[in-house]
Parts: sequence; C-alpha cells; structure tokens
Amino acid sequence: MATIFKSGKTIVKMANMNSAIARRSGNSGRPQPAAAPVPLRFRDDPLLWAGWLYAHDGMTQNEIAKAMGISRATVNNYLAEARSRGIVTLTMETSRLSEFMIAQALMERFDLSDCIVVPSAGEGRSLIDRLGETGARVLERLIRPGDAIGISWGRTMISLARNISHLRLPDLSVVQVTGGSTAPVDFTPELCVSQLATSLGARSINISAPAVVSSPAVRDILMGEPLVRDQFEMARKTDKIVFGICSTRPESSIHASGLIQREDLKHPSLQRSTAVIAGRFIDDRGKPVRGPLDDRTIGLTLEELREIKLRIAVAGGAEKTTAILAALRGRYANVLITDADTGHSILQAEGVPESLGMLKGTRRTQVQGGNLVKTKKLINDATNIIEEMLDGMIAAHPKHLRQLEGSPRSIVAVDGPREGKVGIVVGGGSGHEPTFVGYVGKGLADACAIGNVFASPPPDPILECTKAVDGGAGVLYLYGNYAGDVMNFDMAAEMAAMENIEVRTVLSTDDVASAPLDQKEKRRGVAGNFFIFKVTGAAADKMWSMDECERIAKKANSRTFTVGVALAPCSLPQTLRHNFELGPTEMEIGMGIHGEPGVTREPLRTADEVTDDILERIFAEMDAPEGSKVAVLVNSLGSTPLMELYVINRRVAERLERKGISVHATWVGTYCSSLEMAGMSITLIHLDDELTELLDHPCDCAMFRAG
Amino acid sequence: MTTITSQNLVDMFLAIAGAIEEKKDHLSELDGVIGDADHGVTMHIGFSAVKNALTGLDTGESDPATVFNTAAKSFLNAVGASSGPLYATAFMRAGAAAKGKGDLDRDAMIEVFGAMAKGIQDRGKAERGDKTMVDAWAPAAEAIAEAAERGAPLAECFDAAAKAAEEGAEATKAMRASKGRASRLGERSLGHMDPGAASTALIVGVMAKSLAAA
Repeated sequence: MATIFKSGKTIVKMANMNSAIARRSGNSGRPQPAAAPVPLRFRDDPLLWAGWLYAHDGMTQNEIAKAMGISRATVNNYLAEARSRGIVTLTMETSRLSEFMIAQALMERFDLSDCIVVPSAGEGRSLIDRLGETGARVLERLIRPGDAIGISWGRTMISLARNISHLRLPDLSVVQVTGGSTAPVDFTPELCVSQLATSLGARSINISAPAVVSSPAVRDILMGEPLVRDQFEMARKTDKIVFGICSTRPESSIHASGLIQREDLKHPSLQRSTAVIAGRFIDDRGKPVRGPLDDRTIGLTLEELREIKLRIAVAGGAEKTTAILAALRGRYANVLITDADTGHSILQAEGVPESLGMLKGTRRTQVQGGNLVKTKKLINDATNIIEEMLDGMIAAHPKHLRQLEGSPRSIVAVDGPREGKVGIVVGGGSGHEPTFVGYVGKGLADACAIGNVFASPPPDPILECTKAVDGGAGVLYLYGNYAGDVMNFDMAAEMAAMENIEVRTVLSTDDVASAPLDQKEKRRGVAGNFFIFKVTGAAADKMWSMDECERIAKKANSRTFTVGVALAPCSLPQTLRHNFELGPTEMEIGMGIHGEPGVTREPLRTADEVTDDILERIFAEMDAPEGSKVAVLVNSLGSTPLMELYVINRRVAERLERKGISVHATWVGTYCSSLEMAGMSITLIHLDDELTELLDHPCDCAMFRAG
Repeated sequence: MTTITSQNLVDMFLAIAGAIEEKKDHLSELDGVIGDADHGVTMHIGFSAVKNALTGLDTGESDPATVFNTAAKSFLNAVGASSGPLYATAFMRAGAAAKGKGDLDRDAMIEVFGAMAKGIQDRGKAERGDKTMVDAWAPAAEAIAEAAERGAPLAECFDAAAKAAEEGAEATKAMRASKGRASRLGERSLGHMDPGAASTALIVGVMAKSLAAA
C-alpha cells in the first residue's frame, strides 16, 4: 500500500543545566572523568560536555571523541547516559515527524491492519478532500469482485465516493448501513451510497426507512417490513465498510447537518459521548453510550459494525482528535486514514511518543533555544513589575491618568467620566501596552482595569473602575474575548448590578485567524480594539445613550478585521523563557497576541507577500465593494520597527487603491503589543458615515490623540 | 441521619486547604506542562485566604450560607486569573443554595454540591470535552445526583462524586484544550491532565472524606 514517506527531522534539546547537575550528584555510577580536562563551564561533568558537543555543536561521535580525548565507545556511552538521565532529550516536531512513522505507531497501538497518514497541510486543497481521495485510492486496492461495500455518511464520505474510480469489477454492490435522511445537506446516507455506486459502477442497495424515527414502536414496525428486513440483511453481510468519525463537539457538523435532531443531541445521556460512528454514540473510551436514540435508530449496531471484516475509518483534523481516539480505542476500525497532525495528537494523548522506539539513534539538526536561553529584560522584580510600570505611567501622564485610591490597578481618566455620560471601562492582561491603559482619556475609555502579564484582572479593580466612572447612564465594558477576562468582567458586572449600576458588555472578536467565520463569536480580540474603543468612546463622549453606545460598539466590532504574523516569540518577565518556539526562518500567520497558534507556519516571505496573504484573509470576509472606505492600522507586536511597518503600509495602500477602496485614515506604530514579540498585525475597519464621524471625533489620551 | 453543621463545613474547608498545600507542587507541575505553572501556587494562595477568613469565623453564630460566602469572598479577593472567579462562583452558589437554612441535611448538601458544579459551568461557559475543570465537575454532579436518586446515604453520594471527578480528571488527558489560556497550546496539551480538573478531583475527594467523618 502506498504510504507516503518524508524524512523525519528530530531536534535534540539540552535539559536545563542546573537540573542535569542536580540529577548527577549523588549518582555513584557516574562515568570516569574524561581524558581531556572538562572545560570549566561544564562544571567537571563529562556528560554535560559530551551532550553539549553533540546537541549544540552538532559534532559526530568521532569528533566528540577527538575533542574530549576519549574513545568513540566512551562517547557513545556518555551520550546514552546523558539521554537516559534527561540531559539530552530527543523530541520530534509534529510538522517534521514523518507520516510513515506516525502510521506505524498508530498501527501498533490500535491493532490496525493498515494505516495511511497524509500530510496535514497540502496544496491548497481541503483536508476533507485529500482524505477522501486517499480513502478512495485505498478502497480501490481492496475491493474484490462480488464485494458488498458499506458506507456511512458525512463530508469525508461523499468526497471519497466522488473520488473513487470506475473499477469495472463484476457483481459489486454498495450498501447503505443506516436509514436515510432528508436533511438539506449533500452528504446524506442515500447520497453517499448512490455516489459511491455510480462512481464504482456498482449496484446500490438503499435502506427504505429513515435513520432516526419518532419512537421505538415505529422502528420495530419498520424493521419488521420484509423489504427493510432484506435490505438490512444485506447491510449486515457487507464485506467492507468505510465510515467517517464525527465529533460531538459543538463545532461539529453533526449539529448543523440536521442528520440527527438538535434536541436529541442535547439529551443529557449524550453529554458524555465523544464521537458518532454511523449514527451510534461512543464515549471517550470507545464504549457505546446508551441514549434515547438507540431504540429509535435504524442502522447497524456498533456490535454489528465490529463484525465486519474490513472496517476503514477515514477522518482527520484537529477538532476530531478525541473522536478518532475514542473510535480507535473501541477498535471500531482496523484501517485508518488520517492526517499527520491528528495522528500525532492521538499518539500524544495516548502517551506514545516517548515509546516510539524507532526514533532511537536518529540525529538532530539543531538545538531549539526555548528552555535553554533566558531572555534579557530591564526589570527589577518580576513580581512587582505591574506596580512599577503603573508608577512610571502615572508619573509620565499625570494630566491624563490617575490611580484610584485603595485600588491602584484601577486607572481612571482625569478628564473623562461625567454626569449623564455612559462610562466606558476597558481592561485585560498587561503586556500589550499601549493597549489597554493607553486608551484611557477624554473621548475614549474612562477607566481601565489592569491585570498581571497576560492574565485577566480580578473582579475587584474592574468593579472599582465601574463605580468610579458611573455617571448614572450605565457602564459599558469593552475588552477582548478571552475566557479569563469574560469570567472576571462578568463577575464584576454582577457585583455592579448589586450596587444598582447597569453594566453591558461588548466583546471584541476582530482576530480573523482565531476561529472560522461560522464561529465568529469564538474569535479573540486583538489590535482592532483600537478602532472599537475609539468609535465607542466618541459615541459616549457625544453623550449617546447606552443603547446607542452598545450598538455602535457591536457595529464597529463586526466591521473590524485583524490578521497578524509572528516572527519571533516573546517571553514573560516571570519566566524569561520564550513562550513558544518559532524556527529561525519561520513565521506564523494568525498567531494570537499571547502566542496562541495561528493558521499556518511557513518559511518567512517578503513584506509584500506577507501583506498580500494577510489582506486576502481580510478581504475574504470584509464585504467592501469598490468605492468603500476604510481606516488602516499597521501595528507592531513589539519589536518589529517602524521601518518595516511603513514598508508594509506601502503595500496595504497599494492593494486598497487597486481595489478601489479609499483610505480615510492610517495609523502605523505600536498600538497593541505582545511584550517583545516580533511581528505585526494589519487591521482594517470598514467605515460608513456614522463610524467615520466617530473616528474623527476628538480624543485625548495618554498615548494617543485625535482630532 | 447525618446533618452538616457550619463547623463541619469549616472543617471541610480547612481540610481542603491542607490538601492543597500538600499537593501544590504537583498542581503547579501539571500546569507547567500546559499553562504557566502557577495553578498550585494560585490555589494555595486562595485556600490560605479561605483558611484565614474561616478561622476567624464564629461558627456558633454563622449559618452554612455564611461559611460558603466567606470562603467565596476571601478566595476571590486573593486570586484573579481564571481559578478565582470559578471557585469563588462555586462557593457563592453553594451559599445561595444553603441560604436561610440551618444545619444541612443530606438533600440540602447534595443540592449545594449541584449548585457548585453548575456555578463552575455557568461561569466558565465551558462544555464537557473542553479540557477544563468542568470535565471533573460535571461527571461528579451527575454521579452524586444518581447516587442520591437511588437513596444512598450522604457519604456514599459524595464517594460517588469523588470517584467520578477522579475519572473525569483522568479523561482530560485525551482532550485537546479549547478554552482558557491552555487553548493556545492546542494539541500540545494532549496527554496531560488539566490542572483545574486535577484540583477539582482533589477538592471533591477531600470533601467526601471530610463529610463522611462529620
């Protein structure tokens, strides 16, 4: 069977030196001292020295032997010892772990007779499409004359059915294994069966009954019908079955497809299910989950499914990881077709990577700095860094900002809150300066609650801000959509309600790359806050009502689009370690402002190419025809300099002009940072007359001025 | 029939604080893999505050609701981030469920537990399978409700909850974080227990033990 080979690259990491030394002391079985004197920095530890030469300097064992003045066999022993003690560890990066090795490991772990792993990213085609095609190739090789082939339903299945070739084999039949559905999707059981039969040139055998019926009695009657009974006999006698694996997670298409009713899916007994296979539910261990649908489902049972000799599961994608794992644990499939990232995730969840025996002895290519190198920062005391930052900030901007007495992490505009005006409170974790506190001032936010680095403020300072800016017209919370912030701000809102202050909340969700369009409400808020705060602050300053302020904030959010790119990681003051790793020539498009994974990681390209890539992602969602008007924000994530930002803005302006979109205003600089991360983001807000007027309204803040 | 007094509840919180202190390094270690290694420390700070606040409480004068509310308030003021509002909400809802009641009988105590689990879920807006503490709380709440329905005594009900929380925490190893700060790790979170689910299993376990002794 065609398994795709790709050479795997491994990375050798050196463990933290101190812990390696700690582990060494007290071990009586340590090797003899080396012949050449161990350089001082290795503190008399030949293992550490050998490990360093191997991992960091990339020397061969012969070279190390020469450098240390010992035999190659001793070097070999040292390295083996260094590895067993964790001084040198071998790790493999998902992207580089070859598909073949993942397939092998999956086969061993889950008793599969075969496993095909396709690359996770590929040639501009969707994963479903590539999985379907690979599934088709596999099935073609396995079909024999006279076979009866069962197929379930789903997007991957219809893709497989479309991709399979006409085999010109005699007496083939394709059998439906569940009842049917009239759901308005193009991957119902009937469609999958008839498509596969047509493509193969086979007879199709449908089941003339719905997959889910209204009551057990109806099911019994239908199953008793001779026609249905015969069709079912055929289903049970299939030689081969191909099926998809559906997750029960909220984002899964099973909820939207209509194949199973939403009310049924919400039944409490199904809350613990993890996956659906051919209409049957299983839990995370692969055990069947009994539910209200069991007696109302017309289709093969899980036991019957497992009786089929060849069971080919075709499924992939990060969101399906737990579902596929559950199906594999239950041994429902004996052939699996999936993608590399998903396969790797499944193995990781099972704790397999450590035992990937075949990785032993593989050479590395580079040392990843991450946990080895401490970053440089000008700080005094990491635990006190927020207080010191605020002291300096207040000292610099006494005309704009003041700390609330007794609540130093509540920063209020000196000239902002007033009677009858809707109060605007923003806030979130620190480390994004000038976001959020920089936007506190007249015509913008009235107050900001300050959290620790990358961590939400607790409810208390938020509540204090709320009380301080309440002018009797209510208070509007504006902040980015992050789980921690939502919890703390919600609690503050509840507490404020107890003090009779009306609080409403609008979350910013401008980060296009953080979730697909159909899950827009899950997206994170990033640099687009700048525009959302600006126009809402203006509306409040113009004494608009709470309803109007809320409306404008929502409108601004729905018309603001940001995509970023990261070139190098940032590090937290508390740890001084990179909070993620990015290869020396890599970039990650769509990465979040705390290092959240983005959409693609690829080799660094030119400014224009990266700008084009980002703009395409924005244009795909911004419904702005020729003649529209936008405002532009080209924002540094921390260490990317103005020079590069202007180069990027040049391209942004060029592309907008060619699209016939006019630029009302442009901001270039650091407006929403991620500590010292290298990279930038581009934000466009699609303006209309109302938003334009509010954007132009004067404001005066510590770190920003307009009008 | 067992009833739970304010003093029993204070003892329970003190036992939790003790267990957290003992396990704080372990919790931080779990968090180090998929978070910022502070969960143990955060929980320790939170429950130390609870301990201090409750030690000063006159249990003769305070009803169970007051015990829960005192715990909630002290925990929230001491801890920000995510654990703060989550556990504080649990205790607050417990307080609301116990409001106006004297000693808590079996049914009232089970109701209190259900309210805690629901509070966590409402506050965090997480679903089961998101790899959060809900993956320990939700099965625990289910288990206690099931046990209560079949008429099991209080200790047995809480034992069932503790066992379910334990299993739920274990199951998070196979999950991929999609909520909170760990979500930025995506698949790298696989294979590791969620620290919040782990602390939940620990707390529910101690609750079971402590209430059985009451």
